[in-house]
Amino acid sequence: MAATRERTQMSLLRRDRQLRPDLALVIPYILLTALGLVMIYTASAPRLEALGVNPSREVEQQAAFVLIGFAAFAIVSVVDLRVIRAWVPAIYLGSVVTLILVLSPFGEAVKGAQRWIQVGPIRFQPSEIAKLAVILGLAMLLSGAARPMKWDRVARAVALVAVPAVLIFLQPDLGTMLTFGFIAAVMVFIAGATWRQMAALFVGGLIATVGVFQAGVIKTYQITRLTAFLDETSDVLNTQYNQYQSQIAIGTGGLFGKGLFNGTQTNLRFVPEQSSDFIFTAVGEQLGFLGSLFVLVMFGIIIWRVLVAAANGRDRFSQLTATGVAALIAFHVFVNVGMTVRVMPVTGLPLPFMSSGGTVFVAMSVALGMAHSVWMRRSPLVGERTISDE
Amino acid sequence: MNGTWRLAGVGLVMAVMMAALGLRLWSIQVTETNRYTTEAERNLIRVVQTPAPRGDIYDRHGELLAGTKPSLAVVVDMGLVEETFSEELAQRLAAFLDEPASAIIERFENANSGAQLILAQDLTEQQALTLVEHREDFPGVAVIPQPVRDYPNAELAAQVLGYIGKPSAADIERPEVKGTDVVGKAGIERYYDDQLRGTEGDIVYQVDAGRSVLQRLGEKESAPGDNLILTIDSGVQAQLQESLQGGLEMARNLEMEERAEALEEQDVRTRLFFANEEAQLQAQRDAIAARAAAAEASEDGTVDEDSVEVEAPEGIDEGAVLGSLYWGLPVDANGVCTPVQRVEVAVGGRTILSGSRERTMRLDAVLENRSQPVAIVDIDGERYEVEEGDTFATTLRAIAVDQDALVVSHSDKWCPVRAVGVVEDPNDGSIIAMASYPSFDPGAFVDGLTQAQWESLGTINAFTNFAIQGQYAPASTFKVVSYVLALEEGIYPLDRPINDRTLGDESPAPDPATDEAVTDDVAVGEEETTTTTTPPPSDDELVPLTSDTDLYNCTGSLRFRFNDGSSQVYRDWKRNGHGPLNLHGALQASCDLYFWEIALRVWNERSDESGINNEDLWQEWARSFGFGSETGVDLPFEKPGLIPDRQWFREEQRKNTGRVRSTGPWVGGDLMNAVVGQGAVLVTPLQLGNAFSAMLNGGTLWEPRVVSELVNQDGDITDENEKATLGTIDIDPETTRLLRLDMQQVVNGSIGTARSAFVGFGPNVSRVGGKTGTAEIIKSTEDVQEVDTAWFVGAAPIASPGYVVTVVVERGGSGGRVAAPVARQVLQYLMNGEVGVTPLEAGAEAD
Repeated sequence: MAATRERTQMSLLRRDRQLRPDLALVIPYILLTALGLVMIYTASAPRLEALGVNPSREVEQQAAFVLIGFAAFAIVSVVDLRVIRAWVPAIYLGSVVTLILVLSPFGEAVKGAQRWIQVGPIRFQPSEIAKLAVILGLAMLLSGAARPMKWDRVARAVALVAVPAVLIFLQPDLGTMLTFGFIAAVMVFIAGATWRQMAALFVGGLIATVGVFQAGVIKTYQITRLTAFLDETSDVLNTQYNQYQSQIAIGTGGLFGKGLFNGTQTNLRFVPEQSSDFIFTAVGEQLGFLGSLFVLVMFGIIIWRVLVAAANGRDRFSQLTATGVAALIAFHVFVNVGMTVRVMPVTGLPLPFMSSGGTVFVAMSVALGMAHSVWMRRSPLVGERTISDE
Repeated sequence: MNGTWRLAGVGLVMAVMMAALGLRLWSIQVTETNRYTTEAERNLIRVVQTPAPRGDIYDRHGELLAGTKPSLAVVVDMGLVEETFSEELAQRLAAFLDEPASAIIERFENANSGAQLILAQDLTEQQALTLVEHREDFPGVAVIPQPVRDYPNAELAAQVLGYIGKPSAADIERPEVKGTDVVGKAGIERYYDDQLRGTEGDIVYQVDAGRSVLQRLGEKESAPGDNLILTIDSGVQAQLQESLQGGLEMARNLEMEERAEALEEQDVRTRLFFANEEAQLQAQRDAIAARAAAAEASEDGTVDEDSVEVEAPEGIDEGAVLGSLYWGLPVDANGVCTPVQRVEVAVGGRTILSGSRERTMRLDAVLENRSQPVAIVDIDGERYEVEEGDTFATTLRAIAVDQDALVVSHSDKWCPVRAVGVVEDPNDGSIIAMASYPSFDPGAFVDGLTQAQWESLGTINAFTNFAIQGQYAPASTFKVVSYVLALEEGIYPLDRPINDRTLGDESPAPDPATDEAVTDDVAVGEEETTTTTTPPPSDDELVPLTSDTDLYNCTGSLRFRFNDGSSQVYRDWKRNGHGPLNLHGALQASCDLYFWEIALRVWNERSDESGINNEDLWQEWARSFGFGSETGVDLPFEKPGLIPDRQWFREEQRKNTGRVRSTGPWVGGDLMNAVVGQGAVLVTPLQLGNAFSAMLNGGTLWEPRVVSELVNQDGDITDENEKATLGTIDIDPETTRLLRLDMQQVVNGSIGTARSAFVGFGPNVSRVGGKTGTAEIIKSTEDVQEVDTAWFVGAAPIASPGYVVTVVVERGGSGGRVAAPVARQVLQYLMNGEVGVTPLEAGAEAD
């Protein structure tokens, strides 16, 4: 937390670097990451050991990405967003291109979805990069918005989001597409859209959704996935299997949890995708309510700090970028945790910093780094010391 | 600022959502945790796949040929069996199923951790009930319905239906096939496997913490495959199979009679002479086979003569020959010849070789110190050293030499091997019946054949559908191709000088201008009709016949001169010839010379001058009837046959396969052989029947089919296999009419080669036509048979045929004698009904 000593001395608004990191941001980030690694280990080690393979294999893979992510976070934190801003159009276009490539024969399909691109030894998900690109793009677009916002700016914002959103929808990846929608709504709102414009966006979104359903573009399984969670008694066997087992597993955690590794012997065995989408389930069963609460509180702190950074960002671009990051993290947390306890549909969104997945972790780290960068170059609070460049 | 308020607003919303999640977690993990714990205990779910029943197969009248009988199976879900308990569970299951526990334990050990093992099938209701009631004693064990393939009619249409079995490595690559499935391996079961399979279903079980199955939660029913409606008629099929079996038995009995006669007649010297000839031929065959094998093995298909190992024929062992000839050949339990027997003897053991006089074979030892194991065999005091692949004691061939056993095949090269038949509808190409005998029961595969059963059926090739996989020389049946060529192209033989025609003969040629057959008292098979005593004319005295009614002097032999001045005599099947005949008489009496002469005209005039200008004219006609390529019938493994020509001949020489002369080009003599269906010509029985169908229906060459429709469980047609043509041949309707007439005369006319076989046919005999064939070839590639293949192709009602019946008996002897009676029975069934079928009798030797 930034010290607020020497309030009496007003320093000039110097656009200088602040080198002190926001520990309230960084510590939860590291804690969650560490907990994530532990959970991945408990989820994967017994299975791998039974197969006769190195039980730490998955954790080691993730740890490698964690190191890359930490490095990315640190580097981006130090970089001035103004530097990034110049590159935003290129980043956006590059992202759209990779999204197109992923749909082409160049892309790889995993479990029925075309989400990956392989470049040499590296495999990454363009949709994760796209999230950052859209945040930056929207931030740049909306930073020039007038007050009150003009309709054409709203329209342009919609278009900017729609292009990658549609490409992602075609993969198909419904969850990520919805993320874009949420982020865009929040960013547009923060950028100063009128209530009427927000209403229009909302209604427009509804119409689009209905239209897509009517056109039959959404596949039945996607609809079923979305709606089935609402019905407690519905067919537990198919789409609900994962969620159902997850809910039960979390429920059996009780207040203190069953203890590390004890979740994997009993109910967690029946929850697939434990190290990725359902990692929160592992926390819930093994560490109980206290563990779940801890995770939620950590995320809460991170989001709060990012919002504070947004409030103190020194230009609109920075403010909006940070806002986008907050929305990004928040949406993922709500949807993922909500999914594990059956208040949200199954959408395939990972839990930031904890779910296994290299591209996701690095992308999220970069996002958090950008928010951190905003904080480190914020308008100084009254009386803060700054370090001058000169 | 407004912005800050907005941010605060957003922050508030997020806080509220976090709180909501927190509350939900509290509710699940604290307030209601007991409920979840209980549910978790009870709530393990496992899914077991249920196999889908295969689609049924029906004949054209709806009679079931292959169906499904329900059966209950015991399934162990390995994912629910705890390591520590698995041995105990195996013991309990062993006691319950009355099976050795060790076998079950082994299966448990070899299974994947999540696998579902099918331990036992055909559970009785009682057993199933017991398992369900005592399920807590059998955790992880469930009873599922398992559809089992059932063939209610055993051997009926066995080769057409095929059989099912475990998937091979190639089958598993298909996405819908799992290692535990069954797939079709032959016949319809294989060709239509995708449609017959269906999709498997799931049963979802609720399992408690003790791993015992509580109840079924849900079931996705398996979807059976589509049903097939065949064009096969069960009644005709049954008659065909019965007639084929009877015909083969008759042929074998005839062979035994002939041997008995020969034994009486021949003296020792003749026996030795024949044995010597046989040994020489065998050496030639071995050389050819060795060359063929080396050609296959070498990369570019050529053979380096020096590298081929051929053993020079040793002098024959006279004692062994005399000992084995005729009485050393294998016989079955009734003392009738059998073409091959599989005999196995262990080291130090002995076995009896059957024959009209039995011999004892002892395996004294197997020497392992040479490059290949060598068996030391003693047969009635004679010692032999045998390696794998060796032929010894005239009739024995070593199939396998192991360190502890010897397996030989004991063969009789003169015993009729099998009978094959096809009945086709010439109006749309549907197959009404198709079979080869010896046959098998596809139902035996469902439970699994023993190794011995598999080997014994395999030795006699019972599984192979020879109607489409057997390639034979068609012999005289092939004359119809030249017949059509002659009428359509106007090419007739060169004849002797006109004044020779005044040589008298007793039997008038039938008059094709009228539809009635001219009959007289001369029956076929009695003494010859004419002899000729004039000297052979010089070439420039020869006059070409110009029409199908011009008479040609069908003598007993023809001398063909090669380019190098040498010559060869070709003899007609009838030693003294037939006398003057025109095209029609030549077909009816199956005169070889007439058709050889057509070949010679095509051959000699293949240059520009007289306008024929096409060396391959005959081949073109043959190919237009579908010979030389597959018919495309919807069955697997069909062979294309072969129509030889100069280009093929050259290729064979270049590759040095040994199937043709090693020097010299394709010559007229080769074409002469081809024209009468000998030489290198190969056809499958279906091809021949299909070609006859085309000739008799006016020129439509059908693509034969066995399946007419696919029908789903509700009876709706999901797919139709409509009749389709391979092509249309431009034949004058008059040609078709004449062919029908002549074929009718083959059966009914005085010089017809099948006449004696159809005596006593009953009503409607005048509406039956046919063509005989007897193939005499000596070749030794694997899929071409040896001497004397008997053919008959029949059609009825001949004026506008609805059935074409093709019968071939490998090593059957004369077509008119052996194949025609078999077809006669089938035609009786078709024309006069089941009551019209009279017992088999051999016909006279003709053609």
